[in-house]
Amino acid sequence: MVASDLEMDALASDSRKVIQHEGFCILVCNTGGVHYAIENRCTHQDTSLDEGRIRNGFIACPLHGVRFDLKTGQPRGDLTRIPVRTFAVKQTGDRLLVQMHKADPHNEATT
Amino acid sequence: MLKPGEARAPGHTYQEAIAKDASQPPEAFLDYSYEFLGDQDIPYTHYTSHDFAQSEMEHLWPRVWQMACREEHIPEPGDYQVYDIGHLSAIVTRTESMQIKAYVNACMHRGTALKPPGDNGYCQNFRCPFHGWVYSLDGELLELPEDWDFPHVGAGTHSLREILVDTWAGFVFVNFDREAESLTEFLGVLPEHFRDFDIADRTIETHVCKRLPVNWKAAEEAFMEAYHVKETHAGGRDFSEPVTTYDVYPKNVNRFIHTVGSVNPRMAVPPSEQELMRALWGRRGPAEGDCPIVPEGATARDVYAEVIKKSLGAQYDMDFSHYSTAQTLDSIEYFLFPNFFIFPGLSLPMVYRFRPDPKDPDYSFFDLYFLRPTDSAKPQSPPPEPLMLDVQDSYTLAEGLGFLGAVYDQDTDNMAAQTRGFKTCAKGGQTLGNYQEVRIRHLHQRIKEYLEN
Repeated sequence: MVASDLEMDALASDSRKVIQHEGFCILVCNTGGVHYAIENRCTHQDTSLDEGRIRNGFIACPLHGVRFDLKTGQPRGDLTRIPVRTFAVKQTGDRLLVQMHKADPHNEATT
Repeated sequence: MLKPGEARAPGHTYQEAIAKDASQPPEAFLDYSYEFLGDQDIPYTHYTSHDFAQSEMEHLWPRVWQMACREEHIPEPGDYQVYDIGHLSAIVTRTESMQIKAYVNACMHRGTALKPPGDNGYCQNFRCPFHGWVYSLDGELLELPEDWDFPHVGAGTHSLREILVDTWAGFVFVNFDREAESLTEFLGVLPEHFRDFDIADRTIETHVCKRLPVNWKAAEEAFMEAYHVKETHAGGRDFSEPVTTYDVYPKNVNRFIHTVGSVNPRMAVPPSEQELMRALWGRRGPAEGDCPIVPEGATARDVYAEVIKKSLGAQYDMDFSHYSTAQTLDSIEYFLFPNFFIFPGLSLPMVYRFRPDPKDPDYSFFDLYFLRPTDSAKPQSPPPEPLMLDVQDSYTLAEGLGFLGAVYDQDTDNMAAQTRGFKTCAKGGQTLGNYQEVRIRHLHQRIKEYLEN
C-alpha cells in the first residue's frame, strides 16, 4: 500500500525535522532555502542520518561518513552503492507537501 | 661558438618583453635561472615499465611532499579529505582545536581502510565500518568493542599512525615519511616568488578530475613547455605569442612564464598593436562591446590587462588595480616536484595535480582546479564536488573551464598517441630541447635522485 502524502509547515532556513509517517521515518530539511525529504536511514549500515552534517547539497552519515546527494539520494564513495530514498517536496507559501508516492524527480533509482 | 643550452630563440626574451610593460612586474618574473642539465634521451621504459613504476612507488612517493587538498576542504572540526597516491592513502582532518592532522587511512585492528578512496566529508570521529573501532579526530583509539579480548591493545600502541602535514598558501601538503625535510625546505623559492600573490585567499571555483591515457610523468610534461603550443593549439599557424622563459630552481621548483598579447619577434611581418588588440579581444569568444583602440605609444597588452582587471574586479567585487600587466595576462606556471603545478596569474588561475594509476603505468589521474580570488572578509561557499571524467570524456563537459575545455582536449589527444608511440618507437627514448624542455629533464633528474638514494 502506498503511503499518503505528508503535509507540514515549511522549515526555517538550515534546519531539519524528523517525522514518523505511516511507517516511514522521514528527514525533512531546509538547506540554503531549498527543502529536501529523504528516508532517515543510511543504506550502508542502517543508522539514522538526521544528526549528519549537511553541506553543499549532501548529508554525511554520522557513523562512517557516507555522503548522500539530497537531490538524487545517490551515495558518494564506495561504502555503499545503494541510494537513499528521496521524496519530492512541493512548497506553497509556508506549507510543504511531501509526496510519498513520488520520488524526487531527480532520483531515478527509487521511482 | 655557443655551448649546449646557451642558444635562445631570436629576438627579445620574456624578461625584456615585460620590462616594457606600463606596470612594474614582480621582481621574481625578471629573474633568469636556466641551467643546462644534459642532452641524453629519456628512456621510454621510464614511462612504460611496471618495474620502474614500482620503484617510484617504493622510493619516490612515500618520501615527497604532496598537495592533499585546500584548507577550505576542511574548514571545521571533523571535516576530512582522503588523499590517495598509489597504494598509499591518508586522511587529512581538522581537529577540535582547529589543528590540521593527517593519518594513514587504515584501522589499527585488521587494516581496513577507514574511508573510501578520494572521499571527503564530515564525521565526529573515525569509526571503522568492520568492527567499530573508534578513533578521535586526534587519532587516539577511543572505543574498543569487547575490549576483554584485547588486553594487548591500548591507545598507546593502537592509535592512528600520524603522518607529516603542513600548509602553504591555503594548500594542505602531506608526506608519508616521518623523517622528511620540512615543507618550507622542500618549497625552496616558491614562497618568495609568490610574495605578490594572494593565493591563500583564493578558493576553488572549478574542480575536474580526469583519468588520462598516459604515464603520470608524460602527462606532466605536456604542460611543462610552450613549444607545443603552435602545433597542438594553433595548427602550426604563426601567431602573436608566446615569448617564454624557462627557469629551474633548487631543488624542487621550476617554471615557465610566457607572454599573452605581445609581439612574437620571430614573425616576419609583426602585427600592429591594434591587430594584437583585436586578437586578444576575440580570445574568449564574442566579447561584449567594441574592441578598444590602442592609443599611440601604448601596447595592446597594457590596454587589455586594464580591461581584464576591471571585468574580473566587477565579477568578483574586488579591486585588482595593484596587479601588473604580466600578473594579469601571462601564463605563469610554477611546478613543485613531483606532481603540483600552480598558476598564480589573474586570468589563468589554474592548479594541477597528477598522480599515477597504481594499476597501470600507462594511465594517470589529473586534478585540474580553477581558483578564484576572494575577499577573505566575506563568507565563502564550500568548494564544489569534483567532476569526474573518464579517458574518453571531453573537458568541454566541464562548464567552468570555458574556452580552455577544448584546449585541454587537444593536449589529451597527444597523450594517448605518445603512449602508443613509446612502445613502437625504435629509438628508445624521448629527445628533448636543451632550453624549452629543460623542465622535463629537471623532473627526471629529481626522480633519479630519489630512486638512487
